[in-house]
Amino acid sequence: MGKILQLLLRNGGFVTFVLVEVFCFIIIVQFNKRQNAIFTHTTGLFAGRVLERRQEFSDYIGLKERIDSLNGVNAQLQTDLANARIVKFPMQDTFIVVLYDSLNSTDSVRRRVMRPLYEYYTASVIGNSISSANNWLMINRGSKDHIAPNMAVVTNNGIVGIVRHVDDHFSMVMSVLHRQTKISAALSKFHAFGSLIWEGGDPSLMTLKYIPKHFEVKPGDEVVTSGFSQMFPREIRIGTVEGEAVQDPENPYFLVMKVRLSQDMSTVGDVYVVKNLFQPEQDSLQVKVRNEQ
Amino acid sequence: MNNKLFPNLWRFIGLTAVQVLLLKQLTLSLGAYFNILLYPLFILFLPIQLATPYVVLLGFATGLTVDFFYGSIGVHASAGAFAGFFRFLLFAAFAPKGGYSGKEPIFSPEHMGWSLFLQVSAWFFLSYLFWYFSVDNFTIVYFGTVTLKTLAAWVLTMVFVWLYTAMFNPKN
Repeated sequence: MGKILQLLLRNGGFVTFVLVEVFCFIIIVQFNKRQNAIFTHTTGLFAGRVLERRQEFSDYIGLKERIDSLNGVNAQLQTDLANARIVKFPMQDTFIVVLYDSLNSTDSVRRRVMRPLYEYYTASVIGNSISSANNWLMINRGSKDHIAPNMAVVTNNGIVGIVRHVDDHFSMVMSVLHRQTKISAALSKFHAFGSLIWEGGDPSLMTLKYIPKHFEVKPGDEVVTSGFSQMFPREIRIGTVEGEAVQDPENPYFLVMKVRLSQDMSTVGDVYVVKNLFQPEQDSLQVKVRNEQ
Repeated sequence: MNNKLFPNLWRFIGLTAVQVLLLKQLTLSLGAYFNILLYPLFILFLPIQLATPYVVLLGFATGLTVDFFYGSIGVHASAGAFAGFFRFLLFAAFAPKGGYSGKEPIFSPEHMGWSLFLQVSAWFFLSYLFWYFSVDNFTIVYFGTVTLKTLAAWVLTMVFVWLYTAMFNPKN
């Protein structure tokens, strides 16, 4: 307080000048129409710019939230899309049921009830490798986020891998660039399916095997998931046939071809983890078959 | 006390009256570029030893009085307060060697000589007029107009400053 008083006394003239000028400014704007109009106009412009900047800033700050929200919406859309694909095959994946109105039993309604097969969860890749013989990714979702082993991991561009190890908050994903990867893939033009594997080397190329040799495969043909594995939904884009399909030297009845991945594995960021809602049921059936063999 | 108060009081009344009764009419009849603002001479002629805050407040009061007649509340008051503060800077910048002796009651040609007085009054009125026209226009858009008006008014005002000082030769 004493220091402030000293400062005022030492700079009395300046302080008085500033205070008087502030007062003058107020009365000028208050009592003079012209100056008031200029002031109002200027402050209006300034306020507009400030508001604009503030809006831009808050938009920027809210971007992460919006991205998360959009990812959530995307996940929902992907779920719907994956389940909608199933509608094309009603015998396989939909129920036809008859529902009776509880109030008026004569007014019955026949409905087709779609049974959702998949749920999509959003996640971000926080670790990735593409240069090893067996590559892995780490994602920021774990068992507390409903993630479990053997769930498929995909992006809007294509397939990424399969969840193998799950912790509370993180999971390890076996990349498609892994020697043990074997994904049921199909040529969308023929619906002919085979096995997609990675033989190492180029991280943008995989190998599709066991396509029967009577199919006339051409470079550029689209390769998608077949839906025959219990992990990947049907018709998720994988890539396109690269170069000519050749006879498999190990098995002359089949073709083998290179597939250029549509998802660049070196730039994977946001992913979806796909949960097959009926996987336990399907697994138990497969166990029964295996036991019979 | 009275020998300091009355000359200043008469100067205040005289310069304000000349400003609002005569010089204002001159500007109204001759046009916007014929501004003669003589009343700040009262601020310049306030006692040298008077503390700056008082000079600023007196400058404000004088300007506000003129504002009532010009219908521009605050504009002259702001310029008057500025003149009061700027006077302090000028007096410091043009102080004689060894500072003011206390024998010079006011900064007039009688005590400081014509040359120094005209130098100080020239800077004083140039700054005052620029501040006044800036506040009057209230926007930097008219910077060119403000500069022109300032220079025109400065030349005319300095003539009147010289006339007034030569006629009345203020001593205290």
